[in-house]
Amino acid sequence: MSFLNKLGIGVGAGAGTSREVPRTMGSSGRPRANGPAPVAAVGATRAPELGEANRVSNGLKEFLWNLDGLGRGTLLDLGPAWQTTLSFFIERGFRVSSEDLLRAWKEFLVEEEEKLREATGRAAQHTLDVTPSARAARFLEANLQYPNSSFDAVLLWDLLDYLEPMVAKQMVANLTELLRPGGVVFAMFHSKKPEGFQRYRVVDSTTLQVISSPVLCPAQRVYQNREIQDLFSRYRTVKSFVGRDQLRESLFIK
Amino acid sequence: MWKKEDVKSEASENSPGVSPGSRAAAGNPAREASPTVPVSLPLASKGSASISQGIRIKGEVTGSEDLFVDGQVEGKVNLSNGILTVGPNGEVKADIFAREVIVRGRVDGKIVGREKIQLWSTGNVAGDLQTERLSIEDGAVLRGRVEIETGKPIDKHAEARGVAAGTSKGGAVSVSSGSAGD
Repeated sequence: MSFLNKLGIGVGAGAGTSREVPRTMGSSGRPRANGPAPVAAVGATRAPELGEANRVSNGLKEFLWNLDGLGRGTLLDLGPAWQTTLSFFIERGFRVSSEDLLRAWKEFLVEEEEKLREATGRAAQHTLDVTPSARAARFLEANLQYPNSSFDAVLLWDLLDYLEPMVAKQMVANLTELLRPGGVVFAMFHSKKPEGFQRYRVVDSTTLQVISSPVLCPAQRVYQNREIQDLFSRYRTVKSFVGRDQLRESLFIK
Repeated sequence: MWKKEDVKSEASENSPGVSPGSRAAAGNPAREASPTVPVSLPLASKGSASISQGIRIKGEVTGSEDLFVDGQVEGKVNLSNGILTVGPNGEVKADIFAREVIVRGRVDGKIVGREKIQLWSTGNVAGDLQTERLSIEDGAVLRGRVEIETGKPIDKHAEARGVAAGTSKGGAVSVSSGSAGD
């Protein structure tokens, strides 16, 4: 490994996972006065807890670079509503909408199961259409309801790995409609089926915090390069960064 | 010996479903109003009203005092100068306008917290948020747009509680510079 790679700044070396030693803390848990002042995001001085790790993200850096100069842009965050992530973008002038789509998907599945149970007790004509496309349509009727061309940027995270392929496909199609021309999607894909379940939040402009969480939904599939390109075929530019942790960060520009 | 305070505290324990008197909620959500019902009583000058668990109100709730909702409210809530706390059992299907809003239960509607909005870990909001300061605890669920009016979204109390996390390599990097740390 080259020296630059060891520092995490070599070509393709970004997006590596790093566990960092927290800076010296005062007894209050805040940094001592002589330390550099944290400005990046709320709580940026807190040491990571168990199950949290920081990860350099070239994808995020590139994402921000693409949004540079946008002024009051609009961002859709499809992950959980983390204070750090919201603050990070709001401080940079973005108007942020938050929708934890994976949680919504899980709730949808629970509801579907209940409906299915009820439907089995009824006449055949009332049975629920459980084909993947019908299910995807039902889910998206209740979620991602925004006017077309509402957003300049979307944080998709690794959501697609956890959705049924048909839902993922229709969701990407819907997102494309929600994005303005030139809009950017930041997505992540696992190169192998993830063992645990992680969520991500923005620490600063090049760092994501990876948080191990209880499994919300099992991973559905691992997308290959070609499949990813097909999913986002309506986008004019695709950039990818593969990290040492086999997590692929991709940017799609409409 | 008779004490004025005794009368007040006794009264607040017996506060009706929607009543002034319970100091519990708003300012101190940890001390919630007891769900017990009862009797009308003198207003405590700094007290807050409460809508206890099991109580359901449909319509418009208006006032200038603090309000604690652990029951169900449907319609509109307008506390021009008060603090609204939605308790862990509270379910509010209404647009909310208040000086400060604390959400520990479920809210379906737009929230305007003039000075501050706090989403606790058990909070679940489906609706837009509009405020000067926003604090979101890990685990809170938000589905909606966030509008910060004065560009100071950071809640230092949330930071102190470790609500949001992350280690920094030190200092901020301006997004526009694109030089970012590495």
